[in-house]
Amino acid sequence: MAEKKIRNDLILVGALIGMLLLVGGAMLLFRSEGDMVVVTVNGETYASYPLAKDTEVDILTGENGTQVNRLIIRDGKAFVESATCPDGICASHKPVSHDGESIICLPHKVVVAIESTK
Amino acid sequence: MKKSITLFVALCLFFSALSMTACEQTESGVHKELEKFSAYSFDYFDTVTTISGYAESKEAFDAVANDALAQLGEYHRLFTIYHRFEGLENLCTINELVDGQHRTVSVDARIIDMLLYAKEMHALTDGHVNIAMGSVLSIWHEYRTIGMDDPVSAEIPPMEKLQEAAKHTDIDHLVIDEQNCTVTITDPQMKLDVGAVAKGYAVEMIAQALEAQGVTGYVLNVGGNVRTIGTKADGNPWTVGLENPLDEGEDYICYLGLAGQTLVTSGSYQRYYFVNGKQYHHIIHQDTLMPAEGFVSVSVLTKHSGMADALSTALFCMTLEQGRALAQSLPDTEVLWVLPDGTRHSTDGWSAYMIDP
Repeated sequence: MAEKKIRNDLILVGALIGMLLLVGGAMLLFRSEGDMVVVTVNGETYASYPLAKDTEVDILTGENGTQVNRLIIRDGKAFVESATCPDGICASHKPVSHDGESIICLPHKVVVAIESTK
Repeated sequence: MKKSITLFVALCLFFSALSMTACEQTESGVHKELEKFSAYSFDYFDTVTTISGYAESKEAFDAVANDALAQLGEYHRLFTIYHRFEGLENLCTINELVDGQHRTVSVDARIIDMLLYAKEMHALTDGHVNIAMGSVLSIWHEYRTIGMDDPVSAEIPPMEKLQEAAKHTDIDHLVIDEQNCTVTITDPQMKLDVGAVAKGYAVEMIAQALEAQGVTGYVLNVGGNVRTIGTKADGNPWTVGLENPLDEGEDYICYLGLAGQTLVTSGSYQRYYFVNGKQYHHIIHQDTLMPAEGFVSVSVLTKHSGMADALSTALFCMTLEQGRALAQSLPDTEVLWVLPDGTRHSTDGWSAYMIDP
């Protein structure tokens, strides 16, 4: 009788662990890609890129896209390499990689922000 | 049987920790997942505004963010000294002369309240925050604007011109009639510049309005004027990194955990221009009429964002000893000073807010 009880307990524990692994696996699968580099121009979403993937892209703003901020994502960090704005503050900003960090170009109204859904 | 239940509970806790989504117990007892959102605006106070917060949905977040931005827009139109708006009396129209005199202007109660607060800050800081310095500051503003546009022809203002303007900075010539909601400047050559107070004050008023609506789990950041509303959704304080104002050394001086407090930094690196290779920043000392020289940055952590804004400017113009004495006289107020050589000083309670990122 005692043996049967232990066996039933083991089955229950096994079933629960199996269920939890399934749920856990599903959660991992459907989890977002992790940290994103979100670019907004004058408050509107322009584009977003995964921080984990190396990328080089020109953010074009102003009339006919003549204003340029060159965004580089490399080794899990994002920075503005160069820009046509008058002050160049964005290009001298340190690379960002943590949730909530941002690089801002006031003249071009560009925000490069690290966002995580955590 | 008891053991397996214990194990099950333990595993559940483990996974709920793994999933890392924040939950909120609603009135109906149902758990709803909260997600973090951010919104940006370049429309107000000549700077960038960031609003971040936890909400059940993008729509719920947008409702709060749009409310906050709408209020910020109203404060911006009321407090700006640079723009007039059709049919609106604001700081710009208070400064205007009609037939060589200032008018008595009927204004919105929010202007009265802000000006009264600015007078309080003037008394508190021994005159180091003086919104009646407009005539002096407008000269610097003009020279800085020209110097930034055309660095070759950049000049510093002539001292005689500054000294002449400084004769018209007595805040007692700002007459506020609370009952009738009117403002009069009784010295025709005096002008208001509310740059050291208005933005922080507006942020505080908006934060208080949101708090009164029950909003929590948000951060308002208007050009570096940071005000937290409650904690993060998981109950932990918001992590605010204080950027190193100097080029050398680490990216951040420290990280601070804020839950309902505000952090404002005044720095010589924020607005400046060069004349013959020398940097001239925007925080002007009331006695020398030149940019204050003691510090690279002064950060103030306290409860009221208007206080933090005013105090960071005032402490930037005071000596370390004067500033320390003032900070220690105020409740829940901590300060970090950074000197040009990188040396740092802080009030005793500052380190209690420092956290690991």
